[in-house]
Amino acid sequence: MIEFLSTLIGPFHAKMLAVLLSATQWTVYLSLTAFIGGGLIGLIFTLLRITPINWIRKFAVAYIWTFQSVPLLMLLFLTGLGIPIFYQVNVPPWMAATVSLTLFTSAYMSEVWRGALQSIDVGQWEAGRALGLGFVKNLRYVISPQALKIATPPTVGFMVQVIKGTSLAYIIDFNDLMRWGKKIGNSQIDGAEPFIVFPLVALIYFLLCFPLTLLSRRLEQSLNIDSNKLMLTINKGG
Amino acid sequence: MIDLRFYEIWREQIFVEKLINGIGTSILLMILGGIIGFIFGLALATARGSKIRFLRIPSATFIESVRNTPLIVQLFFVCFGLPMIFEYRWPFFASALLALCLNFSAYYAEIIRAGFDNVEYGQSEAARALGLGKNDILAYIVLPQALAKVYPSLVSQFVFLFLTTGIISEVGVEDLTWAGRYIADRNFRDFEVFIVLTIAYALLSVMFRGVLTATGQLVFPWYREK
Amino acid sequence: METCINLNDLNKWFGSFQVLDSINLSISTAEKVVICGPSGSGKSTLIRCVNALEPFQSGSVNVCGISVEKNGRNATDIQRRVGMVFQQFNLFPHLSVLKNCTLAPCRVLGLSDDEAGAKAMHYLERVRIPEQASKYPADLSGGQQQRVAIARALTMEPELMLFDEPTSALDPEVVTEVLDTMVDLAETGMTMICVTHEMGFAKQVADRVVFMDEGKIIEIATPEKFFSEPTHERTQFFLSRVLG
Ligand SMILES: Nc1ncnc2c1ncn2[C@@H]1O[C@H](COP(=O)(O)OP(=O)(O)O)[C@@H](O)[C@H]1O
Ligand SMILES: [Mg+2]
Repeated sequence: MIEFLSTLIGPFHAKMLAVLLSATQWTVYLSLTAFIGGGLIGLIFTLLRITPINWIRKFAVAYIWTFQSVPLLMLLFLTGLGIPIFYQVNVPPWMAATVSLTLFTSAYMSEVWRGALQSIDVGQWEAGRALGLGFVKNLRYVISPQALKIATPPTVGFMVQVIKGTSLAYIIDFNDLMRWGKKIGNSQIDGAEPFIVFPLVALIYFLLCFPLTLLSRRLEQSLNIDSNKLMLTINKGG
Repeated sequence: MIDLRFYEIWREQIFVEKLINGIGTSILLMILGGIIGFIFGLALATARGSKIRFLRIPSATFIESVRNTPLIVQLFFVCFGLPMIFEYRWPFFASALLALCLNFSAYYAEIIRAGFDNVEYGQSEAARALGLGKNDILAYIVLPQALAKVYPSLVSQFVFLFLTTGIISEVGVEDLTWAGRYIADRNFRDFEVFIVLTIAYALLSVMFRGVLTATGQLVFPWYREK
Repeated sequence: METCINLNDLNKWFGSFQVLDSINLSISTAEKVVICGPSGSGKSTLIRCVNALEPFQSGSVNVCGISVEKNGRNATDIQRRVGMVFQQFNLFPHLSVLKNCTLAPCRVLGLSDDEAGAKAMHYLERVRIPEQASKYPADLSGGQQQRVAIARALTMEPELMLFDEPTSALDPEVVTEVLDTMVDLAETGMTMICVTHEMGFAKQVADRVVFMDEGKIIEIATPEKFFSEPTHERTQFFLSRVLG
């Protein structure tokens, strides 16, 4: 593979591309972990957010608001620099990055899902109740199937935000695509000038993100969802 | 065990100065980036929806490129790459501002376009029936209604973008994040510094949201949510 | 009598579906014509062709002495001379009632704000809601909104007025206030084409009633003849449905 690339773009650029691509796997791992972890926590908070119990709901609202209002960069600084220094513990960059991105993802995901639940007509809840379904059964059989449909495209779309978000983790020395891109771009080596390296890095991110953007859009069309309506619902809550 | 020393942050006058200066810079960048980005975004949205391929395809490409790559890569490209291509160095503040404007404009364009698509067909039809021309219909009928519809989304996007701007401290723009890192590098109280910064960002985003929402009510007094 | 509108063998298709089928109709100045017919019969499409909102494929449309081009290239020339009122009012929600009326006169006819404002107030008085001039449409009732829509069209001082089911979206109790306004307008000698199922209005105002079905004009008659002795079976069936 590398040999083939060498003949195509020269040994130097082939090596550079190989380094960047190998760093990209860490971007992918971090994105997937954050997406799955954040999704699970987000799901829990979505449910807490709609329970009939007042104080639990308030707690969930506070959590979502907090991690939506905190810049991801600050989360990274806090978990990657602040906590290790303050508590005199060693926090490896991958752990700090994972925790930060998971928290970030969970807050936005539960906001999206709450928006999806809220966009279901009240009449549907009432119809379920009129049929004698309790809160949980109503949610399980009537509301969530409809909400799931609405929530899928923005959830896939948010994956793009997560991938882009991982690019900040280099700041606490996480060895991902961005970190290597920056290293190479600052190396002052001929053929690795910033105007070559950064567009290349951008292209790799683009190839990760754009298919998801397209998928999200395709889902939106095939499920016939008015994303604008959802967007407005979400923004009202935030 | 818990020994928080927030006073270490304002221990030295220079720290306080850097913080205040940083807040000012962050706000200034957002105001400039918000306004210029909005104007670019409006132009992009119009070009994106245009019938002319020569306008539509480049604008679509630009929007997708920006939306599907991280701000930090765009920032490095604009700050380090572009000056080499043009063989001219301009101040990092200008580069960072340009990167922010381009970034904002792509997100705004997408929202504004959704607004255009959502203005009822009957509106432009009624305007046509009155004899209004294409440009008048766009400027006087479609645009104001589209903007009112998406204004809340624009505000949310603005606040979301604000929370991503701290990264410009990486190219030496002395914004709020830069001030925090400056202080933490000198007093070694990273934890306290970033807690304070976090709170400052949260407060500023609440402030931005409040001011912008109030502005919206002034600009679109007629708007009723459906 | 002077001819105001002349439709000659007008045909229009949406894809392969023929909406208008050899329409021939001539309307003279100051004449009032009511068009009725079942839903989907092409009534809206017909009057939309008259003010060049829709392109058509063959035949000719002459309005106010101007020949409408099939592709709508001279559409604005027609539209500034023809007023139109829609079923859904289509008032501009972001403009005050007064601004709704003055926008087109200012932008299209080049009137000054003052001139347009004076004209708009004149017509708002005609439709009896001058006191609402500074409000936004959303603050008005449906009947008031439709009367503003009429005033808005009139402020352009059109040579003829088109109405597309102006009372269909209204609550029953406010239908009369809009119909009364239209009767007043008819008395001023305005040329009017009204798509409506308000048969009382047709009897009171119309010079002729046109019945359409499946894109064709089935019957044209004076209201007296139309209601008492309709010639076509489909007209009789339609009337029995509408008149109950
Ligand atoms: N833009 C369009 N594209 C395709 N078909 C249309 C369009 N507008 C109207 N039609 C069809 O043309 C027919 C006539 O419509 P219309 O003139 O609105 O009827 P009416 O006003 O008498 O109810 C209907 O069958 C309608 O479905
Ligand atoms: Mg109709």
